[in-house]
Amino acid sequence: MKTLLRSILVLTAAAAACFAQKWEFGGTAGGSFLNSSSVSGGPGSATAGFQSGGVFGGYVGFSQYKHIGGEIHYAYLQSNLKLTSGGSESTFSGQAHVVHYDLIFKTTRNSGKVQLFAAVGGGLKVFRGTGAQKAYIPLTLQYGYFTHTQELKPMASVGGGVKFALSKKVFLRTEIRDYITAFPKNIIAPPPGVKYSTILHDLVPMVTLGFEM
Amino acid sequence: MRWNNCLIMTAFAALLGSSPSVAANFGTVVPIGGHASDIALDESRGVLYIANFTANRIEVMSTADFSIRTSMNVAPQPGALSLSPDSKYLLVAHYGSSETGDPSKNAVTLINLIDNTRQTFTTGDTPLGLAFLADGTAFIVTSNGILLFDPISGAMRTVATFATLAKTLPVDLATFPTQVILATVSTNPDRTFVYAIADNGTAQAFISYDARRGALYAMGLVAVPKPLPRIGVAADGSWALIGQYRVDAVADNLAQFPNSIASTNIGGNAVDSRAGVIYAQIIAAAAGSSSGTAASTTPVLNTLDAENLLVKESLSIPENITGRMTLSADAGLLYAVSDSGVMVFPVGRLNQQHRLMASVRDVVARGTFCNRNAITQTVTITDPGGGNTDFQLSTDTQGVTISPSSGITPATVQVRVDPTAFQNQNGTLSVAITISSATAVNRPLPIRLLINNRNPDQRGTFVSVPGYLTDLLADPVRNRFYIVAQDMDQVLVFDSTNYSQIAALKTSATPTQIAFTFDRKYLVIGHDNAQQAWVYDLDSLQRLDPIQFPPGHYPRSIAESGKTMLALVRSVAADAPGTIDRIDFVARNGIAMPSLGVYKNIVSPAGVLAPAPNGGAILAAMPDGNVMLYDSNADTFTVSRKDFTTLSGSYAASSYNTYVVGSNLLNASLVPAGVLETASGTASGFAFIDQGGFRTTTSSLTAPGVIESFDPTQGTATGKPTRLVEAPLLSSTSAAVSFPIGSGSGANVAMNFLRSLAPLYDRSGIISLSVSGFTVLPWSYAAAVAPPKITAVVNAADGKLPVAPGGLISVYGEQMSPVNLATSELPLPTALGESCLTVNGVSVPLLFVSSQQINGQLPFNVDGNAQMTLRTPGGISDNFNFSILPAAPSVFRSGMAGPETDLATITRDNGQLVTPTNPVHPGDTIVIWATGLGHTSPAIDAGIPSPADPLASAVIHPTVTLGGVGLNILYAGLTPGSVGLNQINATVPGSVPLGLSIPLVISQGGSSTTLNVRVVK
Repeated sequence: MKTLLRSILVLTAAAAACFAQKWEFGGTAGGSFLNSSSVSGGPGSATAGFQSGGVFGGYVGFSQYKHIGGEIHYAYLQSNLKLTSGGSESTFSGQAHVVHYDLIFKTTRNSGKVQLFAAVGGGLKVFRGTGAQKAYIPLTLQYGYFTHTQELKPMASVGGGVKFALSKKVFLRTEIRDYITAFPKNIIAPPPGVKYSTILHDLVPMVTLGFEM
Repeated sequence: MRWNNCLIMTAFAALLGSSPSVAANFGTVVPIGGHASDIALDESRGVLYIANFTANRIEVMSTADFSIRTSMNVAPQPGALSLSPDSKYLLVAHYGSSETGDPSKNAVTLINLIDNTRQTFTTGDTPLGLAFLADGTAFIVTSNGILLFDPISGAMRTVATFATLAKTLPVDLATFPTQVILATVSTNPDRTFVYAIADNGTAQAFISYDARRGALYAMGLVAVPKPLPRIGVAADGSWALIGQYRVDAVADNLAQFPNSIASTNIGGNAVDSRAGVIYAQIIAAAAGSSSGTAASTTPVLNTLDAENLLVKESLSIPENITGRMTLSADAGLLYAVSDSGVMVFPVGRLNQQHRLMASVRDVVARGTFCNRNAITQTVTITDPGGGNTDFQLSTDTQGVTISPSSGITPATVQVRVDPTAFQNQNGTLSVAITISSATAVNRPLPIRLLINNRNPDQRGTFVSVPGYLTDLLADPVRNRFYIVAQDMDQVLVFDSTNYSQIAALKTSATPTQIAFTFDRKYLVIGHDNAQQAWVYDLDSLQRLDPIQFPPGHYPRSIAESGKTMLALVRSVAADAPGTIDRIDFVARNGIAMPSLGVYKNIVSPAGVLAPAPNGGAILAAMPDGNVMLYDSNADTFTVSRKDFTTLSGSYAASSYNTYVVGSNLLNASLVPAGVLETASGTASGFAFIDQGGFRTTTSSLTAPGVIESFDPTQGTATGKPTRLVEAPLLSSTSAAVSFPIGSGSGANVAMNFLRSLAPLYDRSGIISLSVSGFTVLPWSYAAAVAPPKITAVVNAADGKLPVAPGGLISVYGEQMSPVNLATSELPLPTALGESCLTVNGVSVPLLFVSSQQINGQLPFNVDGNAQMTLRTPGGISDNFNFSILPAAPSVFRSGMAGPETDLATITRDNGQLVTPTNPVHPGDTIVIWATGLGHTSPAIDAGIPSPADPLASAVIHPTVTLGGVGLNILYAGLTPGSVGLNQINATVPGSVPLGLSIPLVISQGGSSTTLNVRVVK
C-alpha cells in the first residue's frame, strides 16, 4: 500500500508541473475484463487469470492545447483470482488498483458538443490477493498458488472514447482502456515446472461523469 | 475464601485418615409433629401446604426458609390436597372411613385462600385422592368411584364407580397415612392428564383421564411386585411412573425399575420432563437376591433416566420418602412427603453439593512377559460441580497401592500394581477400588482394577468394556459386532476392523438378548424389565417403534427364523412363569402362542432362543433341562425333550441341524449326540462355523480361559485347546459368578445362558466376551507362529534415522504381530496385541502393532548404542542394534490437505498446514510438529501424556532458521496431552527471504533436519 501511495504522489507532482489552462475531473464506473493466461507444464490443460469485475475510480485532467491534454487516473478493480481446468474452477478473492497518466488526443476543441479522443500512457497496477489462505484449494497445487499478498507491476494504458457535453460545465464520457501488464506471478504463483503466458490485458470499458473548470 | 475452603477440607481429609468415613446427606428435613399424607405447592405465595393427617392440620411451610409459618386446623384426617390452577382454592380430602361408619366425615373442604372462607362438601364415599384440572374442576377418586367437583357451584358429578377400596380407621400402630389411604391422584404440570391408582390390599385400580377429551380409562390390575401409590406424570401426559412402573395411559408397561420389590411405605417419585429425568426412591432387592431382601436400608434418592429408568446418580438422603414428591416450576426445588413430615431437595443446585466422580470405570494393569516391573496407572477424581470435595480410595488387595489414597478434588491418583504379588495371576483379576467421602452426597461406583499377567502361550488381546455384558452378536453384513451392556441399558456397537466402539444404542430397562431380523436390517432387543422389545435400523442406527407385548410379558429372548419371529417371555400374568410369544413385526406387537404345536405353551422364563443361521429352525433351551425345536417349514414346534436335569452356559444352532447347549451336542431331533470335553472347565461360548465351530471354557473367571475348535466329524472331540489371555464370561448361574465391579443399575438379572463367542463373518477374527470386556483373537489363533524379525527402526515422523529418547518410532520387520491393533489406552500399554518390545531390556510403550510394523515411543532412559528385542507368541526376535542420539528432531510428514497427503506438519496462525497455498508470512507464529527432541524438564515417563502445567520443555534447546534467518522460538517440548509428540512454536521475523522453496532448518544437539516451505510477504 505504501508503494501505491508513493506512486500517486509522484504522478500528482508530474501533473502539477504542467501548467494547465483548463481543468476537468470526473468519477468513473465500469467493468474489468481480463484475458486468461494459458498454463503449460502442468498435469493437464489449464488457464490462470482473473475474473471479470466492477471498476470504480476517478481522474483529473487538463487541456493546454487544442488537440492535446493530459489526465491522471485512479481506479479500483474487483479482480478475483481464478484457475480453470477440465470444467473446474477455483477462485480466490482479489482486487487491483491502477494509477496512470495518459496523454489525450482530441478531435475537436474543448468547447465542442461531441469530442472523440484517444489516450496513451502508463502507470502502475497493484494486484492484491485478499482471500483466506487454506492448506488446500482445488487446482492450485497443480497449476498455481493463490497467494494472500500484493504485487506491483508497471502498466501501459491505451484506449479512447467519446465525450458528450451535457451542459457548459458537465459532460459524460464513454471510453475503453486496455491496461497491459506482465502476469503477476507472486499473486498466482506457478508451481515448479509450470509456465504462464506473460502478458495480461485488462480491458476496462467505463462511463465517466465529469466537470470542467 | 476458596483457599480457606481448601485448607479446611485438607484438614478434614487428614482427620479421615484415621477414622471411617460417613457420607453426607442431600436435602433438608422439616418435621411437622405428625404424619404427612400429602403436599401441594403454592409458588405464588411461596408456601407448601402439608396435610398433617394425624393432627388434623394443614401446615403452611415457607419455601424461602422451610419453616412452618402457620397451620390451618381442618376437619379430621386430611388425606389429600390440591391447589386450583389459579391458586385461589385449596381442596382438602378428609378420610372418613372408620369403624363408626359416619358418612358425613367423608368430605372435601374447599378453602378460599384469598378470603380464607371454607366450604365443606360431603362426598358420601371416602375421598382417597384428588387433583384440580386445567378447567378448574377437581378430579376426586373415592373409595367407590370417581367424582368431578366444580368448586364454583359445588356440584359433584359421578364419572365412574368401582368396588370398595378404603381401609377403615383406626389402624394398627406405626401405620403411615399413605398406608391407610393407599391411593393417589396426580396430573401433568398443565393438568390436562390425570393418573390415579387405588389399592384395596389385593388388587389395584388404574385410572387415566384425558381432561381435554373427557376420556376415562380404568382397569383393575395385579402387578408383581405391587407398586406403591406414588405417581409422577410426564409433561405431555403420555406416561406416568407409578411406583416402579413406567406405564402409558392404557397401562402398557414401558419399563420398570430393575429388581424392585414391593414396599409397604417407602418410596416416591417426581418427573422432570425438561431434563429427561425422574427423581425417585424405589426399594430394590440386593444384587443377586432371590428373596426380595432390600439392597440397603439407607435412604437414597436416585436420579433416573426418564425413559429406561437407569440410575444416573444416587444421593444419600437423611430419611425415607413416604409419599408425594412435587417439583417446583423451575425444577430447582423438590419437595417430598417423608418420615418426619417433609424433605426439601435443592436439585437445581446439585452442582453446589459435594459429590465425587472418577474419570474412568476401569483401570487396566497389563503385566507382560516382557517386563515384570510395577505397573502404574492414573485416575482423576473430581467433583462434577467443580468443587473441592474430600475423598478416600481404598482396596483390600495386597500388591495394589494407591497414592494419594485420600485428598481433595480435583486430584490425580496413581494406582500401582506390583506384578510380583500377582505372578501366578495369568487370567484377569478384578479388584474393587472403593471411593468414599465424608462430605460427598452421592454414591460413586467403585473403580474396577483389572490385573492381568499373561504368559507367552496365552492368546488374544482383551479390550476393557466396563459393566455387565450379557450377549454378543456379529453382524453378518456389516463390519460390526454388538454387545449388550445390561448394567447401562445399552447395546454397544463396535467396528470389527479396529475393535473401537462406534455407537451406544439406548435400550429399555435391563436388556437381556439381541436378535437380527431375518433380512439383517433390524436389531431387536429383548428386556427383562420392560414389556417391550426395542427395534433399531442397523443401517442408520436409528430407533424405530418398539414391539409391545401383552400385559405381564417381558421378552427376554428373541429369535427369527425364515418364517416367524418368536420371543421367550418371562410372564407375571396368569400364564406364568413363561411363554413363547409370536411377534408381528409389522404391527409391532407380540401375542402368546395358544400352544407350542402339541405342547402347552408353558416354558421356563430363564430359557433362551437360538435361530439357525439358515432360518430353518429355532432352538429353545431351558435351565430345567427342557429343549424344544421350532421348525420353520412346519411353522410349529416339532420337538420337545428333557434329557437333562439342568442346562446352562453356551447355546448355538447351526444351519446343518446340529445344536449345542452347554457342553451337550444335540442332533436334528435334539437327541443328545455327544458331550464336548469338560476337563478344561465350564462351557462359556459356542459358535458354529459351517459344520464346525469354536468353543470357549474356563475353570474360573480369574483363570486363563481356553478356546478350542469343534470338529464335527468327531462329535465328542475338540481341537487343540489354546489358553486365552483371560477367562471368557460364564452364565450367571454358574459357580463363582458375581456381577462385575462398578456395574450400573441394570445389572441384576441372572442369565442362565450366555452367547459369549462371535466369529466375525469376514473370518478376520473371533470375539469372545471375557472378564474385562471382550477378547480379540486372530482367526488362526492356533496356527504355528514364526519367530518375529526386526529389520529397521526409524523415527515415526519422517521415517528416517536418527532416533532420540522419548521419540516416537516405527519398527519394521516380519511376523511382528498376529493381529492389527491400535490402542487409545493411556498410559500406553507396553504389550499390545500379543507383542511387546524392549530396548536394552526397557519396555517400549506401544501405539500400534501389525505383522510388519509396530509404532511406539522410545523410553527416555536409553541412549547410545541400543539393542531392540521383540517378543510375540512366535518367540523372541534376534537383537536389532541401532543408535539413539540425545536429540534427533524430525518433522512429521503425516499432514493432509484435500487429496494431498504426507505433507510436513507445520501449521500457521490460521491452524492450517503450511503449503504453497498457505505459505509462511513474516510475522507469523508457526508450530512445527515433530518428535525426537529428547529429554524434557520436567522429565515425563514414556507412555504418559505430557502435562499442560508445567509444560515439559526440551532440555537441549533447538534452533530454527528459515532461509538462514533465525526464528524466535517461543516453546520447544512435549505437546500437552499427547505422548511423544513434540512441538516447536516460533515466530517468523520480517527479514526472512521470500520464495517458493525456502529451507527451514531445525537443529538440536548436533542433529538437524531440513524441509522447504514457501514464504511470501
